[in-house]
Amino acid sequence: MSEKKLFPVTVVGSWPRPAWLIQALRKRQASGCAESEFQAVADRAVVECLDAQEKAGVDIPSDGEQRRDNFYSFVVEKLGGMRLMKVSELMDYMKDRARYEEVLRALDVPAFAIKSPIVVERLTEKNGLAQDEVDFAKKHTTRPLKVPLPGPYMLTRSSWFEGLSDKVYGAPEELAKDVVKILRKEVQALKAKGVEFIQFDEPILSQIVYGAESTETFMCAALPNRRDPSDELALAVRLMNETTEGIDGVRFGVHVCRGNWSRKEEVLLKGNYGPMLPYLMQMNIHQLVLEFATPRAGELEVFKEYKNEKEIGLGVVNPRTDEIETPEQIVARVKELAKFYDPEKIFLNPDCGFGTFAERNVNTAEIATKKMAAISEAAKQLRGEFQGKAAAS
Amino acid sequence: MAEAKMSGERLNGLRPEKLNEILCSMKQPEVLQGISGPWKSRVVWQDGFRAKAYMRTHASEMDEPGGLDATDLAASAHEQLLSAIGACMTVGFVLNATKRGVKIHDLEIALEGNFDNILKWAGLDDAGNPGYRGIKAKAFVRADADEKTLREIWKLAVDGSPVTQSVVRGTPVTTEIEVV
Repeated sequence: MSEKKLFPVTVVGSWPRPAWLIQALRKRQASGCAESEFQAVADRAVVECLDAQEKAGVDIPSDGEQRRDNFYSFVVEKLGGMRLMKVSELMDYMKDRARYEEVLRALDVPAFAIKSPIVVERLTEKNGLAQDEVDFAKKHTTRPLKVPLPGPYMLTRSSWFEGLSDKVYGAPEELAKDVVKILRKEVQALKAKGVEFIQFDEPILSQIVYGAESTETFMCAALPNRRDPSDELALAVRLMNETTEGIDGVRFGVHVCRGNWSRKEEVLLKGNYGPMLPYLMQMNIHQLVLEFATPRAGELEVFKEYKNEKEIGLGVVNPRTDEIETPEQIVARVKELAKFYDPEKIFLNPDCGFGTFAERNVNTAEIATKKMAAISEAAKQLRGEFQGKAAAS
Repeated sequence: MAEAKMSGERLNGLRPEKLNEILCSMKQPEVLQGISGPWKSRVVWQDGFRAKAYMRTHASEMDEPGGLDATDLAASAHEQLLSAIGACMTVGFVLNATKRGVKIHDLEIALEGNFDNILKWAGLDDAGNPGYRGIKAKAFVRADADEKTLREIWKLAVDGSPVTQSVVRGTPVTTEIEVV
């Protein structure tokens, strides 16, 4: 599990989906396309995206989430008991419709464009969440693979909706028991398949901390019904630890960002990781995969008091801009952290995926490749400088 | 788009052939007279700022926000005006799309407006317009047609919307009162 070289380069998960894949995805969602037909198109996209990552020098690639509608809604196809519902369909069940309305207007999106997986029956397993993705990707890369999964907290909170889910699970905590069970089983299956890195996506934790006074953003339909932030963060810690308890031999990461559906920085959340860190540090995971290229994420200094407790997957490029960060800029950023953080505990990645939502690529594959290549070049320079120092120390 | 022409098959929840038949029949004077009106609503005060409107066999409630010390049990009349405009545009869009055989997957219209001088409503100013200074309506649509076609359909929906055009053209409202 331990990395031989310093500053391993990895992705956060999603890669821009080509137009022909999005078309096939739409066709599949409208039930106008056989599953095998869609999977054949997605196979091609995965091969292309693995190839692009390898050429860009990514040490730990992902399959680009090419088969997924988005990073958490895809579970609808993988589990029984869930329905992918549009926010427009959920409006009849919402308690605070005015807040949703403000958010929709701020984002300038229709309610039918935002979909959430909602639990409507007791959850049942089918053939795993990402095991088919891994089986295919492993045939097309020899590099260690990163597999992003929706985190237990996000999966629970985003899919429990009062009026729909409470008929089978009285409260989110009840649903969480089944979610944890399913995720634990998945993690063990992925580990058996030789997956090196499992990343749990918990981006809504930033919404918990910074979304309370803001109507600028939301990532899933159920969130505005949330409770006290510290209770929610404590629940996130508990669910994560229940999910990973006693499982070793695989690297666990948790990814937290501030939204990645728009290139308009002003509609995304801002605020540093400080208030979240006491909770994130209690999670039994190896790595925090965080954004730090965007100034909205605040300063690296918040890690000073948590020196070397966890690996940091340092976000060094902004996936939402056309400008390619230079290796020199990336090196300088990493050095800021390496002043007080063990270089052996620093991984390099973009702030988030390049296409978190299938219909909203935040960049092109060409720019994504160039950004990853810039990270790889920076990592090379950093290794040249730090490899000797690490060996000597 | 050919699916719409098939007899009895539904498109956008409507039967295109039946719809065309109805639309064609509107050229007949007696049908046109019937559909032209009069259209009626009777609004009955309930309590506080709450009112109830009765229209044919239907009823809908109106109230004012809690900030006005009202019970806020229903949307206010001016919000319902926005909704009426949006709903009328929706009907027009669906009508014109169905006529052209265009399948609509999703359609949503976001409307908003600001009062010009609400102080006049409050009796705190004699001048100005207490009504909306302007109203914005933005439609979001996902349908099986190219953008040009959908823009044409949207224009037909807006230009042909009775409610929208009543507002746009400043339809005169004649009023009277009888004390009983």
